[in-house]
Amino acid sequence: MTMKCETAHEYIALAVYGDLADDQSHQLEQHLTSCADCRSELEGVQALAKAMTLFPVEEPSANLVARTRLRLEEALDALPRAGFLVRISQQFSQGVGRLSSAPVAASALLVVGLAAGGYGGYRAGKHATVAIPQDADSVQIANVSSIVKNPGSEKVEVRYNRLVPESVQGSLDDPYIRALLVIGARNRTNPLVRNDSVGLMAGECRAGHQCGDGPVRDALMVSLLYDNNPDVRLKALDGLQPYVADNTRVRDAVLQSLLNDPDTKVRTQAIGMLQPVQADSSVLDVLHTVAARDDSPQIRDVSQQVLSQAQQIQ
Amino acid sequence: MPVDALRFASPFSRPSAAGSPAKIQSSRGMAIDPQARASETELIREAQQGSRAAFDSLVRQYDQAVLRLALHLTGSEQDAEDIHQEAFLKAYRYLGNFRFECSFYTWIYRIVTNLCLDLLRRRKSRKEDQAVMIDASGEEMDLLNNVSDERASANPDRELSRKVLGDRIREALDQLTPRERMVFELKHYQGLKLRTIGEMLHTTEETAKNTLFRATRKLRANLAEVR
Repeated sequence: MTMKCETAHEYIALAVYGDLADDQSHQLEQHLTSCADCRSELEGVQALAKAMTLFPVEEPSANLVARTRLRLEEALDALPRAGFLVRISQQFSQGVGRLSSAPVAASALLVVGLAAGGYGGYRAGKHATVAIPQDADSVQIANVSSIVKNPGSEKVEVRYNRLVPESVQGSLDDPYIRALLVIGARNRTNPLVRNDSVGLMAGECRAGHQCGDGPVRDALMVSLLYDNNPDVRLKALDGLQPYVADNTRVRDAVLQSLLNDPDTKVRTQAIGMLQPVQADSSVLDVLHTVAARDDSPQIRDVSQQVLSQAQQIQ
Repeated sequence: MPVDALRFASPFSRPSAAGSPAKIQSSRGMAIDPQARASETELIREAQQGSRAAFDSLVRQYDQAVLRLALHLTGSEQDAEDIHQEAFLKAYRYLGNFRFECSFYTWIYRIVTNLCLDLLRRRKSRKEDQAVMIDASGEEMDLLNNVSDERASANPDRELSRKVLGDRIREALDQLTPRERMVFELKHYQGLKLRTIGEMLHTTEETAKNTLFRATRKLRANLAEVR
């Protein structure tokens, strides 16, 4: 079987890099014994390779490496501490004793703002001097933010944030209501509130009501990964179902849940949701891990089944 | 013409990367040993959870290789530093998006090659040459430093001709398109497999191969006198 010179030229170019398969190498050798043109082509390619050695790759100097690393360290130190999900999870893990901390006060003020008809109330509320209320007993104080005593005076100025219970009614489409649900999903003390908030948001997302890339879907992902109540996590998972196929962030969150969630029901539902997206290699990767290492034998079995189906399709 | 010249490994010398000579050959990432790869996976997961120490560890594993590549490609320590900085900052920001769909090595290199391509394109459009002049004797004169007599080595003629030839190579490489230059660099100087190069440039192995052939044809045409 004779080889065309065109092919031989290709083989020659690859042979110089050691990229030629043995049988191809053999074919080429045969061709070269009888083709002077290709032999000179080989010489030309070898000459080029030799010429290139005049411009060798140099090792970066220790100096360069050191100062580059230093510069990177400084830049990383200057960045905000951690990503969105990590920051939120830190809020979750802070103890109940921090009830007086900023997020609660901020959310209380957000409610005030909403009742007043706009988000504008949010920032202003934090620093505004509030007139002394008539009925001091009924005011709940969120925290005291500063105390200033003017020297030589009996007077003291105290700045504080109030906790003002409010209520608002509206439809689930309303962005203000949605913002409140997002906050409700983070209620540290009352799982029922979290349950209801997540349930409502999940319902919206399942119905496809303006649940694209936004705070509601983000809140569901956070609840899926960080809520300590399994029922809440199940609801969150449910709401994310329509997005697993098309959105990689959602898929990643579900994968993480499958790997790390302590509750078997949650992990089982997660696998179920991943079945339509077997083509994604990161899904297969996680399924392999789960099939080998999950504590629950049923889950290991189900993962294995999903994997074999996936392999059949491919 | 000895046909068994095909049996040689490769005619060009490639300095072994400090501490990890096997790294370059593997297209699936530096760790061929499955245990090492598993621990890199752990490291990545930790870094994704926010561990700065884990991220720093990852950087240490790759940053010399990145500098080496950027330095050879750009010819400038400053540019190499900038590319290193941008690449790892990007990696830090987007680490959450890494979904293990390729090796981490490929992912990092993809970021680096894209930054290098951007730089090459900017250079081409500005035709900005480095502050280098060739003076009457054909010797390279760096505008920032003076050429002192101490630079005359024991074998000045050979030094000079090596230098001049080295410059010729660099000039010939500059004639390539940014993509051709990139593919040639990755194949010839960094020793990556064509399939890996394809992955890094978001293209197929076949396209990478054709780009390589175009590059070598151009180079041979340009360097016809250099032997």
